[in-house]
Amino acid sequence: MDSFLPWLEGTALSLYVRESESIAFGFPGILVLHTLGMGFLAGISFAIDLRILGFARGVSLSALQKFLPLFAVALVVNVVSGILLLIGYPTKALTNPVFYVKLTLIACGLFLLQRIRREAFAPGLTFEPFPKNLRRIAIASIICWMGAITAGRFLAYTYIFLLYGHATRF
Amino acid sequence: MGDSGIIQPWEAWVRSTWLHQWVHSDLWIWPICESLHFIGLSFLFGSVALFDLRVLGVAKAIPVMALHRLIPFGIAGFVVNLLTGIVFFSGYPEQYAYNAAFRVKLVLLVLAGLNAALFYTAIFRDVRTLPAGADAPFKAKLITGISLGAWIGVLICGRLLTFFRPPFFH
Repeated sequence: MDSFLPWLEGTALSLYVRESESIAFGFPGILVLHTLGMGFLAGISFAIDLRILGFARGVSLSALQKFLPLFAVALVVNVVSGILLLIGYPTKALTNPVFYVKLTLIACGLFLLQRIRREAFAPGLTFEPFPKNLRRIAIASIICWMGAITAGRFLAYTYIFLLYGHATRF
Repeated sequence: MGDSGIIQPWEAWVRSTWLHQWVHSDLWIWPICESLHFIGLSFLFGSVALFDLRVLGVAKAIPVMALHRLIPFGIAGFVVNLLTGIVFFSGYPEQYAYNAAFRVKLVLLVLAGLNAALFYTAIFRDVRTLPAGADAPFKAKLITGISLGAWIGVLICGRLLTFFRPPFFH
């Protein structure tokens, strides 16, 4: 780790992410993509969770499933933009415990969506109200995505080192 | 406009409010409000953007009126964002008032609002009866396309705000 971080920060890609003057193709543009992807990832998850909790009856879950390709696109956008942000400031993220909290919450959110797909999206399945365990999963999913968003935002306020070997923030 | 270094009377007034004092009374108020702002936008995208996409032809298997029942969550998200937005503005009024990204964001918000009013007065009656699988009329697609574009624009301007901060600090 002690040679990996300074090496990564010295690569051309890392320098580009940090120092490019471009709004559209530099750091600001990557942040915009990451935020837009977040809106669709958390938004589609919230919509599915709220449906399971009993809102918007009349929307069949198998119909809501039609938004999952958009969810997948948003996931790819956010994995790629997230990796670029990580390459730009690896020490800042990897030395901050909040970063691992965020990743864990995203993993939980994705796992819970997968469970919802398996248990609630079976075609022709029309149980209403949804069974208790599915409703619990939906509530947990909402909490995970809200937590992931909050952890992500808190990264800007909780990091200890901005770059390798730099003084602490505090 | 007061782009000079001189504090304008309205700025002095904003800085005299209890809200301004409150924003600066604790370090964690700002990140918490930011997190709420991001969660709010996710609810907006999870309802309004998904509704727009349905009218535009994505996930046609969903009856339009059924999906419309998620709109109150989008409105709730918008209210959260309006309130937290007022908190941000009161904290650093000059950062926003003299910020090109913020001005464009306001214009797009007004556009989204007027467009929504037009949708509900002129288009909604043609759309509300659309059953599962039905294609929306062109006028409805045009209006929802503008809605989707305006909200994505609002998100982009919001995320870019910090990169268009005025160089002076009052």
